[in-house]
Amino acid sequence: MTSTNSPAVNLAKPASATSGRVSGESSMWFFIIGDLFIFGAYFVSYMYYRGQDQQLFLEGQQHLDQWIGVVNTLVLLTSSLFVALAAEGARNGNRKTALRMLTIACALGVLFPVLKMIEWLPKLDAGLTPGESLFFMYYYLMTGLHLVHVILGLIILGFVFRELKTAKHPNIGFVETGAVYWHMVDLLWLLLFALFYLMR
Amino acid sequence: MAEYLRNPLCQVWAFLSAMTLASWWVSQGGFEFNVNVLVTVTVLLVSALKVHLVVRYFMEVNVAPRWLKRTMNAWLIVLLALLLGFYFFSL
Repeated sequence: MTSTNSPAVNLAKPASATSGRVSGESSMWFFIIGDLFIFGAYFVSYMYYRGQDQQLFLEGQQHLDQWIGVVNTLVLLTSSLFVALAAEGARNGNRKTALRMLTIACALGVLFPVLKMIEWLPKLDAGLTPGESLFFMYYYLMTGLHLVHVILGLIILGFVFRELKTAKHPNIGFVETGAVYWHMVDLLWLLLFALFYLMR
Repeated sequence: MAEYLRNPLCQVWAFLSAMTLASWWVSQGGFEFNVNVLVTVTVLLVSALKVHLVVRYFMEVNVAPRWLKRTMNAWLIVLLALLLGFYFFSL
């Protein structure tokens, strides 16, 4: 029997806690949330050590190629857009559009590691290795970890492409799962770009 | 209490009060103001907004269940607070 005079807390709608739609598979979201917490810990520790010797970090930052950072940010943002459009196309049953959008997204995704190599190799040649300073240790460690995520993301997008191309009835959940992973790669870069390239 | 925290009126009041205290603190020379601080605060706030938009629209968290929305919002807010906190602490 329910009371009409129930306390305010009972007026909450518990159903809304679980209603709504998760894009992709829930298991991927648990992986994403875990990854975000791990990267978050790295970001915070970077900020802590930066605070211990700001001059060292500001000097290290001078050696980074700002333009490559900006271009890579735009590349990943645009790639993310095309992945989102591909997922939308797949959901609407427009397989041809989805495949076209995904192809553009992957092409842009491949550009990211290429630009990263253009950025890294001259630095390593000039002796700016991870052992050079704490700044470069963090720089190579965090952008390297992110690069691994980019490569894994490209492999996942490759499987999504195969699903859309060959499956009789493509699994939309799988397409969305690949898409949310790729968006996570994008959002992590947005923070890395701010921390390493932009902040002063 | 949680209901009051969710009320937009209370949120606006909290923002207005926080901005009042922040501007008073700056005017009192609360920290040695320089361009770097302005650049960093702007960069971090803009980046947080960008991340929020990616999460909300590209990752479609705007239509997700409340637990996911709250987890993602909490992650971003706590991260931003810690990054700004450590930055200001080291000034």
